[in-house]
Amino acid sequence: MIFTEEQQLFRDAMADFFAKHGAIQALRQLREEPANVAFDTQIWAELVALGLPGMVVPEEYDGLSFGWLGLGAIAEVSGRHLAPSPLLSHVVLGQELLLNCGSTAQIAHYLPLLLSGTELWAVAIDGHRFFQGGDGSVVEVDERLSGKKVLVPDGAAADRILLPVRRADGNVGVFAVPAGSAGVSVEAARMMDGRQYANIEFDEVEASQGVWLCGSSVENGWRLTLDRAMVVLAAEMVGSARELLERTVQFLTEREQFGVKLATFQALQHRCSMAYCELELTASAVLAALSAIDRGESQIAAYASQAKALANDCLTLISSEAVQLHGGMGVTDEMDIGLFLKRSRVANQLLGTSDWHRARFASLAGF
Amino acid sequence: MTDPQDLQAFRQEVADWLEQNCPLSQRQPVVQSEQIWGGRKRQFPSDDARTWFEACRDRGFTAPDWPAEYGGAGLTSEQHKVLTNEMKRLGCRPPLYDQGLWMLGPALLVYGSEEQKREHLTAICRGEVRWAQGYSEPGAGSDLASLKTRADDDGDAFVVNGTKIWTTKADQADWIFCLVRTDDDAPKQQGISFLLIDMESEGVSTSPIPLISGESEFCQTFFDNVRVPKENLVGELNGGWSVAKELLKHERKMMAMVGDMGEKPALSLVELARHCLGTEDDGALNKPAIRDHMAQHLMREQAIASLGERIYQQGKAGQVDSRLPLLMKYLGTREIQAKDELILELLGAEGLTMEDPSIVDDSRKRVKQWAFNKALTIAGGTSEIQLNIIAKRALGMPSVGGKS
Repeated sequence: MIFTEEQQLFRDAMADFFAKHGAIQALRQLREEPANVAFDTQIWAELVALGLPGMVVPEEYDGLSFGWLGLGAIAEVSGRHLAPSPLLSHVVLGQELLLNCGSTAQIAHYLPLLLSGTELWAVAIDGHRFFQGGDGSVVEVDERLSGKKVLVPDGAAADRILLPVRRADGNVGVFAVPAGSAGVSVEAARMMDGRQYANIEFDEVEASQGVWLCGSSVENGWRLTLDRAMVVLAAEMVGSARELLERTVQFLTEREQFGVKLATFQALQHRCSMAYCELELTASAVLAALSAIDRGESQIAAYASQAKALANDCLTLISSEAVQLHGGMGVTDEMDIGLFLKRSRVANQLLGTSDWHRARFASLAGF
Repeated sequence: MTDPQDLQAFRQEVADWLEQNCPLSQRQPVVQSEQIWGGRKRQFPSDDARTWFEACRDRGFTAPDWPAEYGGAGLTSEQHKVLTNEMKRLGCRPPLYDQGLWMLGPALLVYGSEEQKREHLTAICRGEVRWAQGYSEPGAGSDLASLKTRADDDGDAFVVNGTKIWTTKADQADWIFCLVRTDDDAPKQQGISFLLIDMESEGVSTSPIPLISGESEFCQTFFDNVRVPKENLVGELNGGWSVAKELLKHERKMMAMVGDMGEKPALSLVELARHCLGTEDDGALNKPAIRDHMAQHLMREQAIASLGERIYQQGKAGQVDSRLPLLMKYLGTREIQAKDELILELLGAEGLTMEDPSIVDDSRKRVKQWAFNKALTIAGGTSEIQLNIIAKRALGMPSVGGKS
């Protein structure tokens, strides 16, 4: 739960990078672009050059083997700056899915393309309004795939789409298909967090156009990938919550009403203190989960659900409090507070709402 | 820092020692009537309890991290954790319960004179003296610094007059550590001194206070012209507030962990829920809303433990974030109460009676615990005071309503 010196240096370098590139300004610009633009490609190219995609990739695959605690620290920084990048879609979902579900030959073939940023991979999880951890919304019949997926992060910017498929034999397979394949139609949309998500239809897509990931345990690999992604998203959300609380306390310390600083009112102090307790409680759960991944624990589902549920609730609370405590300014688009608020609600839905995670946690704990 | 290899050897040594010295009966979950309390009037609940206590006392394990010269074992924080973990693994009961051990001792280590340390720390470790705490007064609760119990200079002694309230188990204590006013003219925090008072002194009396749990855990203690030798002053004259603050840190740490020290019920929360509610075919509890609340509580409870672990690891790595320990009491005590409320909900109609104390079943104990634990967010600095402190020291917001 303690960062190494290397991890701290990298984290600080990323913080400088996001600050220097005005990540929030980039997000504001992105909102004005057509939906097919997913992120600032210039910023992404520089992140690739810094080695971001290889953070947790083992050294044997030319990665940095930096540890999940280190990646979590970077996700937190990214959350502080609301940086739009394919960190979650590509680095944590797409690339990890290849590592966890692909065969040795597949990893050797595709990974260099991903680490170098030559290809962008996105993962389509569910076809339903709510996250279900990968549903049977796309099925294989006679070596053709049909069905649909929704809310695919950066899905219209990806070169390849990965998705779970209910196969003809009843098992779940993970399929990787080039975005432009016949029968695949991708519809881009910009959600309220300013980022791109795609709805993707699969209409009798011939399986020969793509590949089935064929590592030794595809179903476990699928679940492990999602669990890890939940923890990284939770880390990002902790970063957003931390930034919001700092900005809110700062605002209350500067703004005067009734001839005194707002920060002198006990009612407001207590709300900030309670928010801070929730923040550090959540941060501790996320650090524990990242450490468990780094220790190589095979069962991280309970950690992941704990981290994501607490992060959802924490950021929902703190983003709502931030708007309220900023008063009228809190509901203006001029302030960044609203951007965090909107990101919070999208992040809640991505990779599972709190009730979904609490139900899973309960099942895992035997009740 | 202890060398990892040495630590491994220490773990083995401790495990062997515990295996040899902790009687099997002392590895069962502790019930209240079998807790080992120190004191002049102490009575061991059983021969095994005496054996276990004496083994720990002789090895310094009643106060593992205190220096050996004062009766502790002189363990480093890492070694202490190893011991705690090994004891937890074997289910060993705490060998000694005493407020002197948890609160006074750590403060004396910082502020006590050499003589005071030798006299009192040793007696605490050896379980020879039982301590009570004399802080709050009927007119000084959250605003502790407005206390009025006074100690007047009378040559070689102070003469103490006044009353203290919420003095835990003072009717069974041998000594009491007190905050007393020694200067009426100074600003209120600067006129307070920290005194150690023998409860057998002429003029000390106690009266138990019945609580909503049906117990009388707390007393009011009265001082009527009690003479206290001057060597019983801890720290500087009028410097008692610093000692009090040091001690409060340990009190709050203890209160956040109080769940670990108390009596363990027969069934875990999950077992109780399954028993009370029944389950669906897939093993899920029959009441989805309670299931959701339970998951929420368990996630938070585990996260509080992770926060504690994070604080420990930061200390070990020398990367301390001094804001984090301020959160433990507020979060820990609130979560214990959340658990108590869940339990009451689970027990349903069986959780509604506290009558007929002759029946000591699991449900009644849990209901008493629920009522008793309402004190946790009040004693040792209320939750509201904790939030004031967090706002000021963790978030840098201005003081309100005077000092807290």
